Amino acid sequence: MTAAAGTPEAGSILAQLEAYQERSRTVFRLKFIAVWVVLIGALLGALWATGNIDLAFIAEWGPFILGGASLTILLSVVSIIFATLLAIVGAIGRLSRNAYINGVASLYVSLVRGTPLIVQIFFIYFGLPQLGIVLPSIPAGIIALSFNYGAYMTEIFRAGIQAVPPGQREAAQSLGMPERQVMGRIVLPQAFRIVIPAIGNDFVAMIKDSALVSTIAVQELLWRAGQVGTQNFRSLEALLIAAAVYWILTIVFSAFQERLEKRMARGDR
Amino acid sequence: MSTKRRGAALLAGLLFLAACQQAAAVPAVVCVGEATTYLDWLNGDFLPDVEGTIEEPADTAGDLLETVQENGVLRISTDANYEPQSFLEPDGTFIGFDIDVGTEIATRLGVDAEFQHVDWDAITAGNWSERWDISVGSMTITTPRKDILSFTQPYYYTPAYLAASTRSEVTDTDQLPFELPDGAEPTTLATDANCIEAIEAGRPEFDLVITSGTVIDGAVDAGSPILKIGEPIFTENLAVAIDQSGPPHAALLFEIDRIIGEMHEDGTLTELSEKWFDGADLTQDPSAS
Repeated sequence: MTAAAGTPEAGSILAQLEAYQERSRTVFRLKFIAVWVVLIGALLGALWATGNIDLAFIAEWGPFILGGASLTILLSVVSIIFATLLAIVGAIGRLSRNAYINGVASLYVSLVRGTPLIVQIFFIYFGLPQLGIVLPSIPAGIIALSFNYGAYMTEIFRAGIQAVPPGQREAAQSLGMPERQVMGRIVLPQAFRIVIPAIGNDFVAMIKDSALVSTIAVQELLWRAGQVGTQNFRSLEALLIAAAVYWILTIVFSAFQERLEKRMARGDR
Repeated sequence: MSTKRRGAALLAGLLFLAACQQAAAVPAVVCVGEATTYLDWLNGDFLPDVEGTIEEPADTAGDLLETVQENGVLRISTDANYEPQSFLEPDGTFIGFDIDVGTEIATRLGVDAEFQHVDWDAITAGNWSERWDISVGSMTITTPRKDILSFTQPYYYTPAYLAASTRSEVTDTDQLPFELPDGAEPTTLATDANCIEAIEAGRPEFDLVITSGTVIDGAVDAGSPILKIGEPIFTENLAVAIDQSGPPHAALLFEIDRIIGEMHEDGTLTELSEKWFDGADLTQDPSAS
């Protein structure tokens, strides 16, 4: 039986459809969560059943290991901020029509993306002192992470800038805006909205890559877990704690990122 | 192949297998820490030494001592995992014999002690790039090290021992199928404490460790499956070290040397030694008796 749109019957059919969709979404979510709970429970249960997990050790050393998480977050947040700034400059450089600027930016991207992050960390901490530049471990780690991620994010920002419809730039130019304003007020803000998901992804990746900084004696999460584990012959428990913390951190920040993306996308509808 | 040849080949094969069995009982691999005197000894170039003459400098201007006193902080490098000299507590602080000695030295200099945990091979290589001021890390005075670091008088002495895993069932040096040190194959991990931890973890690559008697005793007390074997291989004199490529430090060296002398005389070092080394006083010079 057909009903014309706008009549009470059409409204109630629509409402019923939406209610049905909502229910199936809820059922899906519940099943999804149930699968996670069962799998994680099975994994933990299997570990527990080996009889080799020392709860007393976890209770005694857990707080110390967890204390490293704050340094991990600090390193990641500071580094991603610097990396973003580097990326904006690098992207503009890569798009520049000036061969010298373009050459420098391209060299930066190629060199830093072409060498392993751990090599860069060691270079800054162990290599630079031979040239007279001595950095303490935390600044050295932040510089290495920022430089490295800045190069990868340069390419992302470049793509973001190029994804802004050329019509925007043309309209701005036809209004007589100088190039700097075109970039700063029209193109970059829109490019930024486009690359937010990528920055979020990189931030999550940075949280994990910050573990490499443990090699230059920064007492963050992995350093603490490694030391405590080897010293007490309980590496399994210690590293499980560290892995769990990294996992929880990435889940939390990914959830934030999803929220942020949804908010930014609202304007598009 | 003819019967004779086959027989000979079989015999050779059996003898080879028998020889392997004998050698496989305890591999000739000995684990030591990187850049340690134990490694030097295995390689045949262990050159123990004594500290040079330490004189009070006439001019102390610009000396590291002044910088330390101005900043109110003495930065000391130590190992993060070298029980009972320096190791972690659950609240995140480090404790141990070296930590106590370093703290006492700083107190007597009138400053605070700040400990940094640095890889051992970075400490012994010198060129600290002024990241820290002194090393209180149970470092042996050797001739090659004297070219790079300045040493104070020793603050204690330890015997170096061979230790074997209980799994290998070796209880005496006679049971080893090879001669020490020539027949041994050294393998290194970051520190000798790591060697003992690897044995605890059940790694089959090696059964033997050479390290300080204090480290072995500490591990055995903590339940590690190792055993001290035989007599001490050698005794080492352990002193505070300062990087020669750093700022001028003759005054700091003299001061710390004087403080260590004081700590020997007033019994502080003996007290600390008895506290950390199961009641043993390791601060008396064995060669002086």
